[in-house]
Amino acid sequence: MSTRVFRTEVRDELLAIVREPTALFFTVLMPVAFFALFATMFGEGGGFGVGSLATYGAFGVLSVVLTNPGVGLADARERGWLRVKRADGTPLGVTLSAKVTAALPYAIVTLAGIALVARFITGPLDLPQVLRVIGVLVLGALPFSLFSLAVGARFSPSAAISVLNAMLIPSVILSGLWFPLEMLPTWLGEIAVYLPPYHLAQLALSQVEGGAVWGHVAYLVGTTIVGAIAAALAYRSAEV
Amino acid sequence: MEHVLEVRGLVHRYGDHTALAGVDLTVKSGECVALLGPNGAGKTTLVRNVIGLIEGNADLIEVAGGDPRRAETRRRLGVVQQAVGFPRSLTVGEIVGGAAARRGCPPEAASRAIAEMGLAGLEKRRAVTLSGGQQQRLQLAMGLVADPVLLVLDEPTEGLDVEARRRFWKTIRRRLDEGAGVLITTHLVDEAAAVADRVVVIDRGRVVAEGTPDELRRTLPDRRIEVRTKVPVSVIRALDSVHSVDLRDGRTVIAATDSEQVVSTLLDLDPEANDLTVATASLEEVLVALTNHEEVLI
Repeated sequence: MSTRVFRTEVRDELLAIVREPTALFFTVLMPVAFFALFATMFGEGGGFGVGSLATYGAFGVLSVVLTNPGVGLADARERGWLRVKRADGTPLGVTLSAKVTAALPYAIVTLAGIALVARFITGPLDLPQVLRVIGVLVLGALPFSLFSLAVGARFSPSAAISVLNAMLIPSVILSGLWFPLEMLPTWLGEIAVYLPPYHLAQLALSQVEGGAVWGHVAYLVGTTIVGAIAAALAYRSAEV
Repeated sequence: MEHVLEVRGLVHRYGDHTALAGVDLTVKSGECVALLGPNGAGKTTLVRNVIGLIEGNADLIEVAGGDPRRAETRRRLGVVQQAVGFPRSLTVGEIVGGAAARRGCPPEAASRAIAEMGLAGLEKRRAVTLSGGQQQRLQLAMGLVADPVLLVLDEPTEGLDVEARRRFWKTIRRRLDEGAGVLITTHLVDEAAAVADRVVVIDRGRVVAEGTPDELRRTLPDRRIEVRTKVPVSVIRALDSVHSVDLRDGRTVIAATDSEQVVSTLLDLDPEANDLTVATASLEEVLVALTNHEEVLI
């Protein structure tokens, strides 16, 4: 029965996104537009290609998984709909994992959009590499959804949007996802190695350029543990 | 009849505030129990414990034969909660269909529940576009999909018009006849008096009275005298056995223990007094007396 409940929950979440697409339109469009802008400015001879798909893709996928599940949870909580679900006997894990799962297709659409723009601006891409990068980014972004849920369990929808953007924007800039770390002051650039988005982008980049993998994986596993604890604590003390 | 709800010694605290201070409550199969009390009495806290949303300390809390903290137990309940907003994106059919899926019921169960609550034809409408009354019925339709053994209804007729209310109670009566138990909170005291087999009055986190509506009315010795008279309120208030005097719509409303003596004195003072009625105390008056709260009882 849990599978049927999960299917129903995912369907409801997807319908919510499809039928109320305004917010997601910007979530998907913004990373693609940013990528198009920077690739046009720096693309020629600037090394834009599958590598930049890794960094801008990391930004794109994070903008979806870090905002959508949390804002959706905050909205359901504020409406009292989460209370209805709990009284209905819907397992909490199913409700939360459905919110994360429903964000994934949109993360993939964002990545596909960036890849498409890259194809036109920088020339043909190596498809297996592109698919590996997309796979790594989608799987590697999952821990970030836990932080999103933690915020959604504590804040109102409008506050959750602000808090999550305050987490997203500085961390992607300081992780070198918008422009290379070399362009930042040295002391700012040194912060990157402590930020999870940096390790997600480096993991994706390693699929193109090779290099160390397990250090980044370990960092993301640690992020998952911290995110899970944050989400559990936030939800336990949340008012439904 | 077997108990479908049994609560013993339920204590619930919010920090230093004790919302429930050792509440006992039972509902039997086929029985409708109304939970009444003033604002802040602890009714919603009690209801939320019963449906497993929050967890207090209790010697026993058994709902539909199980622990309400367990999801399987909660699936055997039908619940209508206050202040629920449906998702903007989902239709009536999808919401009740989802409730059926969560309870492991076939899709036909959703169609039946929609029809039972008079929502047939609205399956493709977004729930948020329904009227307040229709949304209340939608919530009950969600609760009815799995033939619940206990219905927990928190202010269920809020916002319903007369026809919708009549249909609502017809549905509840049918479910009671089929053996479901019903626990209801309402601020419509007359409605509670009309539909409940038993009334439980809660105040400051404790059960202060319990019984059938008639039994509770008999606990108040006062009679209510209503009359058109020229005798000033101040004079009536000074009479022996008079507890309160009000003017309502040109009539004087008197609460007194010795109604015969009061009526006799009134007629002596004003032989032209007319439109006189004497009645036993209403359930609302009983509740005000029991809880010492004059505000609306919810």
